[in-house]
Amino acid sequence: MGINEATTYEPKILAFCCNWCTYTGADLAGLNRMKYPANVRVVRVPCSGRVNPQFILRAFARGADGVMVCGCHPGDCHYTTGNYFTRRRFMLMKKVLEFNGIEPQRFHARWISGSEAAKFRDAVTEVAQVVKALGPAATKVTTQASSKAPASADIESSVQKEGAL
Amino acid sequence: MNYTEKTKLIQTRAAALLEAGEVSYVLGWGATRFADKTRARFARSPEEAATLVYNEHCTQSLAKYLVDDRWPETRIAILARGCESRAINRMIRDNQIRRENLLILGLPCEGTDAERCRSCRAHDPVVYDELLWEPNSTGAAAAAELSRYYRADAVDALSAAEKKAYWDDVYARCIRCYACRNACPVCSCRECFVDMHRTGFQGKRHSATDNQTFGVTRAFHVGDRCIECGECERACPMGLPILAQTQKILKEIEALAGDYEQGLDAAQDNYLGAFDLDDKDDFM
Amino acid sequence: MSKVGVFVCHCGTNIAAAVDVVRACEAAKSMPGVVHAAEYKYMCSEPGQQMILDAIKEYGLKRIVIASCSPRMHETTFRKMLKKSGVNEYLIEIANIREQVAWVHDDKEKATEKAIDLIRMAVAKVCRDEPLKSQMIPITKRALVIGGGIAGIQAALDIADAGHEVTLVEREPSIGGRMVMLDKTFPTLDCSACISTPKMVDVSAHPNIRLLAYSEVAKVEGYIGNFTVTIRQKARYVNHDICTGCGACSEKCPAKVPSAFNKGLSKRPAIYTLFPQAVPAKPVIDKDSCIKLKSGKCGVCEKICPLGCINYEDEDMEFTEDFGAIVTATGYQTADWAQMYDEYGAGRFPDVIDGLTFERLVNASGPTEGHIVRPSDGTEPKTISIIKCVGSRDPKKGRAYCSRACCMYAAKHARQIFGKIEGVRVFIFYIDVRTPGKGYEEFYDKTREDGAIYVRGRVSRIYKEGDTLICQAEDSLLGKQVRVKSDLVILETAMEPAEGSASVAGMLGAAVDGDGWLTEAHPKLRPVETQVGGVFLAGVCQGPKDIPDTVSQASAAAAKVIGLLNKNEMESSPMIASVEADKCSGCSACEAICPYKAITMGEQPGREAGGNSKKVMRPIAVVNAGLCQGCGACTVACRTGAIDLLGYRNRQILEEVDALWV
Repeated sequence: MGINEATTYEPKILAFCCNWCTYTGADLAGLNRMKYPANVRVVRVPCSGRVNPQFILRAFARGADGVMVCGCHPGDCHYTTGNYFTRRRFMLMKKVLEFNGIEPQRFHARWISGSEAAKFRDAVTEVAQVVKALGPAATKVTTQASSKAPASADIESSVQKEGAL
Repeated sequence: MNYTEKTKLIQTRAAALLEAGEVSYVLGWGATRFADKTRARFARSPEEAATLVYNEHCTQSLAKYLVDDRWPETRIAILARGCESRAINRMIRDNQIRRENLLILGLPCEGTDAERCRSCRAHDPVVYDELLWEPNSTGAAAAAELSRYYRADAVDALSAAEKKAYWDDVYARCIRCYACRNACPVCSCRECFVDMHRTGFQGKRHSATDNQTFGVTRAFHVGDRCIECGECERACPMGLPILAQTQKILKEIEALAGDYEQGLDAAQDNYLGAFDLDDKDDFM
Repeated sequence: MSKVGVFVCHCGTNIAAAVDVVRACEAAKSMPGVVHAAEYKYMCSEPGQQMILDAIKEYGLKRIVIASCSPRMHETTFRKMLKKSGVNEYLIEIANIREQVAWVHDDKEKATEKAIDLIRMAVAKVCRDEPLKSQMIPITKRALVIGGGIAGIQAALDIADAGHEVTLVEREPSIGGRMVMLDKTFPTLDCSACISTPKMVDVSAHPNIRLLAYSEVAKVEGYIGNFTVTIRQKARYVNHDICTGCGACSEKCPAKVPSAFNKGLSKRPAIYTLFPQAVPAKPVIDKDSCIKLKSGKCGVCEKICPLGCINYEDEDMEFTEDFGAIVTATGYQTADWAQMYDEYGAGRFPDVIDGLTFERLVNASGPTEGHIVRPSDGTEPKTISIIKCVGSRDPKKGRAYCSRACCMYAAKHARQIFGKIEGVRVFIFYIDVRTPGKGYEEFYDKTREDGAIYVRGRVSRIYKEGDTLICQAEDSLLGKQVRVKSDLVILETAMEPAEGSASVAGMLGAAVDGDGWLTEAHPKLRPVETQVGGVFLAGVCQGPKDIPDTVSQASAAAAKVIGLLNKNEMESSPMIASVEADKCSGCSACEAICPYKAITMGEQPGREAGGNSKKVMRPIAVVNAGLCQGCGACTVACRTGAIDLLGYRNRQILEEVDALWV
C-alpha cells in the first residue's frame, strides 16, 4: 500500500469455502461469468466444520481486512453434521471478536449452496463493500519490521526430511 | 463452626485415612511463612496430616494437581470445595482422571479472600464421598456479591473503541508466561497449541496481537468447559482480567442456549462439542 | 530448496485474456521453494502434461502447483499424470485462476494480482503436502437386508440372483410386509397376494438367501465392506428344523387374541402363523398370550404336535455375522389416527376404519372372506365415505408431507367397493387429487366414471345419528357445508416410519430427517445411498412411495450392493484424519463430534508422567480409515491439534493464510 492509501485501498478478504457447496457455487459463478470484486481469496476446505477459529484469528493477526466462512446450508452438509458445529462455533466467534475490539463487520459467515452462484457473488460483493468502508484493519501486527512467518528455516528443515521420504 | 474446628476435623479425618492406608496421600492446604498465604500440601503420613490447615486464605483450587498423578497405586484423598468438585467432574468428563482413584472429602465453603470467590455461585461440593461438615445454607448463590459475569459485563459496557483500547492495554502487559494455562483445571492437553512450533498456531513474538491470539484461543479452548474457578486469574503474575474472556463465552452460550454451567456432573456435554438442529444463525 | 514447479495454464484465451499469465509465471519464479515455472496454452492437454512430466525430470521437481481451472475439474487428471512421473500424486495443489479469477474479474491488473496471490497460497500449501497412500479395504461378499417387505424381498432376490449371499432379517414371523395385507394393487387391480407370495417363496427357496424371520438386528459394528452385525433370533418355542407346518397346534390352541395382521377383525391363537401363505410357513408362540408360558397350565400344542417341535424353554438367541453391505428396508406403519383425530370419533365408532383395515375386510382370504360389511353389525353398507389425507398434509395434527400413495389407494378402494356392492354410493373427500404415475390418471378417471363422488374438502367432524355416521365437511368448490350419511367411513391414513426404524438408523449411523425417514446421501444423485458407506436404502423407509417405486428403488439399491460386492477390495481416500498418539490426551472430544463413528478410544502403552514410572495404558483416539470420510470436524474439536486432517493439515491451512500477507 502506497501513500495514497485512502484512494487506492483494496481490502484483502480471505474466504474459507467448503468443497461441496460454496466452492462449487463459486465455480458456478465463474461458469456463468458473473462479475464480482477481486478482493476475495478462497481457501478450499473439505467442510466448513474444518475451519478452526484459530485460522480466523491468524488471518486477522496477519492483517486480513475481512474473513468469511462459507459452507452448505444446515441440513445439506455433505458430511451430515459438520456445519451445525460451524454454526455454533462462529456464532460465538462473532461475539468474541466484537468483545475483543475486533470490528465484527470484518467477519462474515454464509451458507451458500453449490447452485447459489448469485448468492456467492452477492455475498462477496457485499463483504468487499462493507470492509472497504471500514478501511484497513487495525489488528495487524505492527510491533516489528517483518510480519513474515518464520517460514524459510521451516521449509528448509522439512525439505531435508523429505529427502528421506 | 470456625476455621480452627474445621482444620481439626480435616486433620483428624486425614490422619485416620492415612493411618488405615486407605489413601496414598491427602491433598489439602498447608501454612506458609506468610500468615495470609497458604499453599497446596500433600500429607503422606498421619504426622503430616497434622500440618494441614484450612482458613480464608486457602485461595488455591487444588484439582489441577490430580492430572500429575493419573495412575495412583492407592486412592488419593482430595479436599474439595465447590470449585474443586466441579473441576473434578469436568476432568473426569475429559478422561483426564478417574473417579475410582479419588476419595473426595467435601468441604462446604464460605469463600476465601480471593476476588473470584465474591462471584462464586457454587460453594458446596457437587461430588464427594463424604462431607466433613454440613453445608452452610447461606452459602451458594445468595452470598455472591458480584454478578456471575462481572468481568465480561464490565467490558461489554465499553464502546468498540474502548474495548480495543482495553484489550490493547491488557495484552501489552501479558508476558505470555502461560501460568493461566498451567493453573487451569480444564487445560489438560499433553502439549499445548502454544508450544507446537511446527504447526505454528501461536506466533512467538512478544506483540500485543500474538498475546491476544493466545488469550482468545485459550478462551475458545476452555470457555465452554470453564467451571469458573478463577485459577487463571489467581495464577497470573500480571493481574490480568483473564476471566473476562471465558465469562464472555459462558455468557453468550447462556444467552443462546439457556442455563449453562459446567462441572455439575461428570457426564455433561460442552456446548461446542454438540449441536442443536434449531441453533440460531442470525449472525449471518 | 523445496523444488516446486509452477505451471500456469492459459486455457486457450479463457485465462490468458483476463490474467497476465506471463507476469504470473514470472512472479511464481521468485516464490519460496519454486525452482521452475512455465506457462502453456493447455496444461491438461497431452503435450501440456508431457511438458510437466519433462520438467519434473529436468529440474528434479518434487512438488507441483498448477494454476488453471478449478481443482474440481482437473485435480484427478493431474493426479493421474503424477502417478506416471514417480512423484506422489498428493504432492500437487491447484490454484483456481479460471472459475475464481479469469471468468469473474474484468480488471486485468487486479485479476493478475489475485492470480499471483492464489499461486503463492498454493505454493505455500504444496510445500507442506505429504506423500499419501490410499489403503485397500477388503470386502466381505455378503449382504444384509433389514426388513422383509416387498422392498427387502426384491433387493434380496436381485442381490442373490447376481450370485452374492444375502441374509434377510424380518422381525415378524413371516416376510411379506404390508403388501401381503393388501387385496389388490393399483393401477392394474391385480391381486396383491398373487404377485407377492411367489416372490416370498422364491426367497425361501433361493440357495443364496438365508432367511431369518422373527429376528432383529441388535448391533452393527464396522464399516463399508466390513460390517459385523449382531442378530437376535427371538424365541419361537417351536423347533423349525423339525416342524413341517402342519398347523395342528394352531387349530387346537385354546388361547385367542386379536389378530394384528387382520387389524383386529379376527382372532388368532397364541401359536400361529401370520397368514396362510406365510414364509416361513411354520408357527411361533407369542409368549404374551400363550397360557402355558404365562401360567404354566395348558401345554396342548406340545401334546398335539406329532413331531415334538414344541419347546417352552426356548430363549432369544444372539449371533454375529459379517457383511460387506447393508440394505435398509424397514418400511412404514400407518398413522394412529385415533390419537390425532378426536373429531373422527377417536376410535369410538367401530364403523370408522382405516384403509389397511378395509384391505383385510375386502380381501378374499381375510376374516370376512372378502365381504364388505360393517364391523359393528355385519350388515352391508350402502353408502361409504372415504377420507383422504388423514394425518398427511396436516402439520397441525399429523405430518406435513403427502403420503403419495393415498390418492390412488382411495380410488382403488372405491373401485373395489363398486365391484362388490350393487348400487353402493361412494363419496371421496379430498384436498387435491394427485395421480402422477403410469396409468394413474386414467385409473382415477375410470373411478369417477364408475360413479365415485369426489368432494373437495377436509371432513371436519364425524358423528353418529342413529345407526349411520354423518361426515360433515365444507365442500370448498360449492362453498357450502355438506353432510354425508355414511354406513362406513374409510380413513386413508398417513404413512409413518415403522416403529423401531430410528433405532435401526442409529445402529447404522445413518441419518433420519425430522419426520423420521432415513436420509439419502443426495436427494437427486445418490438416492439409494446413505451418507454411511455401504448402507443403502430401499422402499418406504426413505419416504412414502407406492409399490412400483418401492420395487424400483429396491432394485436400484441391489445394483449398488452388487457393484460393491463384485469388487474384492476397495480403495479408501487417504485424505482422512490421523492421530498423533503422543499428543493425544484422550479427552474424547473428537469421538463425540465425528458423524461417522470413525473415532474410538483405544489405548497406548507407555511410561507416563504421573504413572509412578510404571507402564500404563493411556487412552488415545484411534481413527478407523474405513469409516473416516475426511470432513475434518474432529480437528477443530481437538484443542491440542493431535488429530489432524491429511491433505488439509492445520499447518497447511495456516501457511495458506500466511502466504496471503507477505
